[in-house]
Amino acid sequence: MQQSIWRGIKLVFCKELTIGMRFKAAWAAMFMFALTTLACVSMAMQGGAVEPRLLAALLWVSLFFAAMAGADRVFADEDTAGTLLTLHIFGPAQAVLLGKMLYTLFLLVLLALFITPLFLVLMDVAVAAPLVLLGTVLLGCFGIAAAGTLIAALTTGASVHSGLFSILMLPIILPVFLPAISLTAGAFGGGAVTVSYLGGMALYDFILLVGASILFDYLWYED
Amino acid sequence: MIQARILPWLIGVLTAVLIYLVFFVVPPAQGLGDYVRIAFFHIPMAWVSVLAFLMSAWWGARYLRRQEMEADRLSAASAKLGLVFVVLATLSGAIFSKLTWGAYWNWDPRQTTIFVLLLIYGAYLTLRAAMPEPRRRARVTAVYALFSFLTVPFLVFIIPRLYFSLHPSPVINGSGSLDMDPVMLGTLLAGLIDATLLYVWLVWRSVGRGDKEALS
Repeated sequence: MQQSIWRGIKLVFCKELTIGMRFKAAWAAMFMFALTTLACVSMAMQGGAVEPRLLAALLWVSLFFAAMAGADRVFADEDTAGTLLTLHIFGPAQAVLLGKMLYTLFLLVLLALFITPLFLVLMDVAVAAPLVLLGTVLLGCFGIAAAGTLIAALTTGASVHSGLFSILMLPIILPVFLPAISLTAGAFGGGAVTVSYLGGMALYDFILLVGASILFDYLWYED
Repeated sequence: MIQARILPWLIGVLTAVLIYLVFFVVPPAQGLGDYVRIAFFHIPMAWVSVLAFLMSAWWGARYLRRQEMEADRLSAASAKLGLVFVVLATLSGAIFSKLTWGAYWNWDPRQTTIFVLLLIYGAYLTLRAAMPEPRRRARVTAVYALFSFLTVPFLVFIIPRLYFSLHPSPVINGSGSLDMDPVMLGTLLAGLIDATLLYVWLVWRSVGRGDKEALS
């Protein structure tokens, strides 16, 4: 049974990856959205000196909204293509959730690896604590993936899609967002780095993962 | 039925007593002066905002377990009232903030907490409006109410301790002791009971009206 869940997660992940690479529109939209946002921010600042706290906030706002441009499609695309019912019949809930979550995490880590170095170059930021920045970005991506996958499942079948995903995500992700901005500001040299915030982010990420796992069963196995 | 008739009268009398206590009995507070009177309306509103959120998640959980549409109606009614109370708590808090700190808003940890609660209520009601099918709407919003409830320990207990705050200490402070004038404490308790009864009555009325509309 345990092995079949792992196999299910791997299969769902591979399916998502194959579809993502075959139809590149979602990836392109997410990465181009990130690039456009970064270009806007950099052009607006015109190379002027910016406080580390503001830099950290700009990086996370760019990352969050770029993630919102791609992560919301994880169930809606299946619904539109008519493959969600097949997945319902053959896929156990936990394998579907965790497989899709893993794929979202993979996508977000790629996005972060694209945005962060570009942001550092365009905004001319010197990183004082690279490991803290790396840990913060990874934990931030994990939190967005854990909450985003469940929220994406919730918005399937909604009559309004535009903006709904971001509206539902923001209040839930704020306990990740706020410490992430503080830690990133610290990593950019803006005051002391409070490493315990990383522990807080990891704990909240874990709670989101467990919460999403428990609640997804209620969505997947309808009456 | 009897309670339904008595409750509005009880709330009316308690509100009249509360207004009398706040404006004629409670002494000005040290450092805050007469501005402290706002707190006797602000704290009960903030309390009901959190209570309504808790109850909305509770009825959401009940819907998921038993599939009773009444639980969904109660959850929705609680969220709608919670939104009204959280707006009132935010406005009264902003006025208090302007009078005592000189600015309506400065992202104090408690202002952040109440604002996130406002966002959650807004998101919950937006999700309800976006779901056309009643059973799916009930299930999805119940899941969202429970999922968003995971933020509460962080927003109520952790965020206020992470950031510097100008907000006065809670009635029961960190050491677990009550640090308030007895008259003020009694008035505050009356305010909390009054606001809680008002919430209970309004949820009751709202669901009763929904039942009548469903029958007609």
